[in-house]
Amino acid sequence: MPPPSPTVSALRSLLAVRFPEKARRPCGGVPAAVRPVDEALGGGLPAGRLTELVSAVPSGGGQTVVAKLLEATQAARQRVALIDGADGFAPEAVPAGLLRHLVWVRCRAPEEALAAADILVRDGNYAAVVLDLRGCAERALRRSPASAWYRLQRAAEGAAAAVLVQTTRPLVPAVPWRLVLDAPLSLADAGAPRDDVADRLAVRAERSHGPAAVLLAG
Amino acid sequence: MNYAVLCVPDFALHALRRSDPGLRGRALGLVEGDGRRARVAAASPEARGVAPGLAASLAMSRCPGIALRPRDPAAEVEAQRLLVAAAFTLAPRVEATGGGCCTVDLRGADPARTEALMRRLAAELAGAGLPARIGAGATPLLASYAARCAEPVLVVRDPGGFLAPLPLAFAEPTPEQDGILRGWGIGTLGGLTALPKAEVGRRLGTEGVLLWERAAGETTRVLRLAEPARSFAAEWAYEPPVESIEPLAFKLRRFAERIALELRGAGFVAERLSLTLLLEDGGDHRREFRLPEPGADVEGWLRILGGHLDTVRTDARVAGVRLVAAPARPQEKQGGLFDTGLRDPASFWENLARVAAIVGDDRVGTPAPSDTHRPDAFVLERPAETVPPLAEGPVHPPLGPTLRRFRPPWPVRVACAAGEPRRLEDGRLTGEVRAALGPWRRAGDWWRPQAWAVETWQVEMAGGGVYQLARTDAGWCVEGMLD
Repeated sequence: MPPPSPTVSALRSLLAVRFPEKARRPCGGVPAAVRPVDEALGGGLPAGRLTELVSAVPSGGGQTVVAKLLEATQAARQRVALIDGADGFAPEAVPAGLLRHLVWVRCRAPEEALAAADILVRDGNYAAVVLDLRGCAERALRRSPASAWYRLQRAAEGAAAAVLVQTTRPLVPAVPWRLVLDAPLSLADAGAPRDDVADRLAVRAERSHGPAAVLLAG
Repeated sequence: MNYAVLCVPDFALHALRRSDPGLRGRALGLVEGDGRRARVAAASPEARGVAPGLAASLAMSRCPGIALRPRDPAAEVEAQRLLVAAAFTLAPRVEATGGGCCTVDLRGADPARTEALMRRLAAELAGAGLPARIGAGATPLLASYAARCAEPVLVVRDPGGFLAPLPLAFAEPTPEQDGILRGWGIGTLGGLTALPKAEVGRRLGTEGVLLWERAAGETTRVLRLAEPARSFAAEWAYEPPVESIEPLAFKLRRFAERIALELRGAGFVAERLSLTLLLEDGGDHRREFRLPEPGADVEGWLRILGGHLDTVRTDARVAGVRLVAAPARPQEKQGGLFDTGLRDPASFWENLARVAAIVGDDRVGTPAPSDTHRPDAFVLERPAETVPPLAEGPVHPPLGPTLRRFRPPWPVRVACAAGEPRRLEDGRLTGEVRAALGPWRRAGDWWRPQAWAVETWQVEMAGGGVYQLARTDAGWCVEGMLD
């Protein structure tokens, strides 16, 4: 990714000076326990922000990210909501002990998923909210207005939860952090420990306002 | 009830009255126009003999003590913010429909609890000088009809019975339609909806059908949703500047009432208050108060602010006042040393109920394994109040990518060679198999009529992607993707 132009850098500096509250807002983070994801985000999913994880290829590893996030949040005894737009989560794929902090919402359509996310993101009881829109009908996704995403982003900003949106193509407008999984896993990975599989995921940061650590440190 | 409408009749009049302590209990008229053309647009009940449309000079002669004032846009903005904040305490999907009117999407809310909440809210708003009427019904239109009839809360459970006696004007017929329907002897909504809709359409055209639908309260629409407040601040400029505490205390009460509602609607409490007095000479007096306990208790805030104002002496008159609340998440209960329970249990269960109303009661919960080896068998349990600590790790740590299921599974034609899948053909997944693992055979409930047996394979497609196949008596299907 080319470095930002001097004009953009100057504008960012100016905004940081003019609106120090915004720039230095402590936002914390929820580690996903997936090394490439946490490194790309500078420590974990930023709290109070949307992060889009695009599974650009089949078997890109998006569900493994969810499984590892469940493991990390259970270890920290934090609550997680999974809003499952196409009802694809398989509880048997995750050890039963890692599910007791999970609230799973099994939706039938993206409209239901967005409406549920609008409610749960505002709830102060979740450390992370995962909105999984993979498998949803493309036509239905296109029908969701951009204003719904801006509304969700503003709701996230006012809440403490880290919001992870899983898609198969870039969908969320003006999202601060977009990560792309663009290398498929293979059958050779089937026998490897899941931790190793997660650490080998190919994650590319497509859009970033700087690692979340900048906000953490600020 | 799916929708609620909060409306304040004579909104501009009430907004004006609640902004000025000198108007409390007085006969008040709102005037529009200047000089001789000034006419009364709205009048308070104390203004006896004064009705809208009356010339201002006549109003003064009929009611000598009446205070005649023009509209106050700043007061209306403040009152509208209060009304919107109140609406957000009912549900998060709110439309600021117009001056003195809000529509709330209540779908998913518990009806009994919401009705009690609406009654409490109406009383709270009346106490804040904004006597709102709240109506609830199946459509935004029905709710607005109910709000117009409410005293102060009306929930429409039987739309037919409620609408039948209402005058036809509720459906807003054009003068032509009104004339025709009067000629037919129809003066109520019930009279119109008693006629077959198609016949009305045949005689009055499309407009007639729309009128019939409005009369039946059937017309629905998409709400233009408003954003809940993100900053919790209020400011007022005094003209002329003030030099006593009373006007300040009055305004601070109004601010506190509104900000407390905005905090409640957004699920916050205040942990600090910041008071700024803007002085006539350009200076200011600032003071920040850390609240002993974060909350949204208006009386508590006013005691703190009032106690401070009693001690303030300024060199110049006060030209403006600003109050800002710093939000924090409510800490509803004392957390134990190792307790990681819910921070806000009421909000948690209420939001789950809302989500359940959207997706279905049986589709929200915490998954737990069923006592069977049947694939995709689980139960959804009520989420735990407290997140339990991590038990010992699983006996068999998970291996490989995680399965994501396709529900329902995709039927697929599978070409096998040497007993292994070699090619898949399906509308969604067609291609050569690069590698296959399996089979894993499971069976169960053989002693019951619903006996099952399944053979599972994992295949990697030549075009990329690892999928899980299942073979049963019904044939092959793609169960999901290893992701």
